[in-house]
Amino acid sequence: MKIKMKGKQVVIFIIMSLLAVVMIYPFYFMINTSFKSNAQFLGAPGHSFFSWHKLFKALPVGHQLLNSTVVCTASIAIILFVSTLAGFSLAKMRSKASPLFFLGIVGAMLIPLQSIIINAYVNEANHFNLLSGYWGAILLYSALGTPFATFLMTSYFRGLPDDLIEAAICDGLSYPRVFTRIAMPLAVPAVVTIIVLQFIQIWDDLLVGLLFIQDPSYRTITVGLGALSAGRTTDIPVLMAGSLISAIPAVVVYLIFQRQLVNGLTAGIGK
Amino acid sequence: MLPALALVAAFLGIPILQAVYYSFTQWDGLTATWVGISTYTHELRYPIFWRVFENNGLLLLGIPVAMLLPLGIAFLLNEKVPGWRFFRSIYFLPTAISWVVIGMVSLRFFAQQGLLNGILKGFGLGFIHTDLLSSERGALLAVAITFIWSMIGTNTIIFLTGMATLDHSLNEAARMDGASNFRVFRSITLPQLRRFIQFSFIITVISAFTALFSLIFVMTEGGPGFGTTTIEFFIYENAFSHSDYGTGAMLGVILFFMMAVLGIGQLAIMRSKD
Repeated sequence: MKIKMKGKQVVIFIIMSLLAVVMIYPFYFMINTSFKSNAQFLGAPGHSFFSWHKLFKALPVGHQLLNSTVVCTASIAIILFVSTLAGFSLAKMRSKASPLFFLGIVGAMLIPLQSIIINAYVNEANHFNLLSGYWGAILLYSALGTPFATFLMTSYFRGLPDDLIEAAICDGLSYPRVFTRIAMPLAVPAVVTIIVLQFIQIWDDLLVGLLFIQDPSYRTITVGLGALSAGRTTDIPVLMAGSLISAIPAVVVYLIFQRQLVNGLTAGIGK
Repeated sequence: MLPALALVAAFLGIPILQAVYYSFTQWDGLTATWVGISTYTHELRYPIFWRVFENNGLLLLGIPVAMLLPLGIAFLLNEKVPGWRFFRSIYFLPTAISWVVIGMVSLRFFAQQGLLNGILKGFGLGFIHTDLLSSERGALLAVAITFIWSMIGTNTIIFLTGMATLDHSLNEAARMDGASNFRVFRSITLPQLRRFIQFSFIITVISAFTALFSLIFVMTEGGPGFGTTTIEFFIYENAFSHSDYGTGAMLGVILFFMMAVLGIGQLAIMRSKD
């Protein structure tokens, strides 16, 4: 294949390449540094697996990856369950309370995590005793993800023709059946968008995990890494190996589902 | 819709109401005594509060950069030179990376023996030996630069989506009438992108004020001094480092109020223009 470029295009290509270097550099730095021992990082030549060995001794990596997976899966399952139901009833079973409820949900999107975190923390700790396992974090992540997911599902279900639903009702299907048999199969793209968006958000979170998972053996990988760095570990290569391993799952999800992620990010603009 | 309502009410709705109540109390997490608005008046006379507030204000100065840079990049990508899809993927990649990881790499970049000083030396500028992280303003600058870098992906995507919706026949008509490139951009392209620019503005401000906790936690822990303590970090410090939950709740209410004004203002603008 022959690619012809005009002068202007060559200039743009060069600028974009330089920018790509700026954006990709952290990954190069992480990979390169993680394959050095501390001495090699400070100037000695060569590469080694030394820091990877050390990381696995300092951090229960496998266990924390598993914790992250459990927390992400459970939270996303709850978010999907409540947001698809709420979205469907808001879009297709409108009642007098619908607009008010929709306003409440959209309004909740404006509440910053930091504004509620103290009270959520004290509530969970004093009244519900939720901080000992995964549940404290899972429930809070679910609540934080639900408003946007409901917003997205509502607009998506609104796009389905009313005739379709009415025809199915006329054929004797009940609303729950219409939901599981007709609406849900059609909503797969929106569901995938929510899964991808929430996965990246929850996987990458530090604050909720730090406060709401008190038992270190339930810690997620991102929290484990944050704690390791706050412990003032000065061994940079070990931290970079940890960074890399914590980043890989989210990056893989991103690479596979790029389109859905873009859809999710731009969904708030409306048409 | 009831499960969603219950979940959101229990974990977001009730806590925000509680936060408003407790912001009028002196509270250590167990016992709270009502003190009325004195938490507010006391805090407003406290110089550190204004120092923290100022940090948020200074972060706002980075917002135009965090938007204009991606706008330019989106224009370049929109020229669709060979390989633009690949470049788009690369620019967007940091969106998937946690602030914890970004902060750790950034810390090394700005360090005394880090890449920044290496580059300066390479260009024969070794005499400008930077040590941003050791001064209050410098550390905030380092946080702001890292923030701008990591917003490039999101904002570029927003603008690129906007550009895909542009009506090209308008451009051509204007050119036929003899309008210059700049004039076409200012009078035709920008107005069509208005919605996307607003959206990007909201996302960027929300991120600057409520998403940087982990970055600050890893990079500077709010220091040196209070150099990089923003309101959101101050909330955490007050409540979870000093057990002053009342002040933390109050700061949370202030932050919520700021975000709500922003969100409602945005909604009002969008409604009025439709």
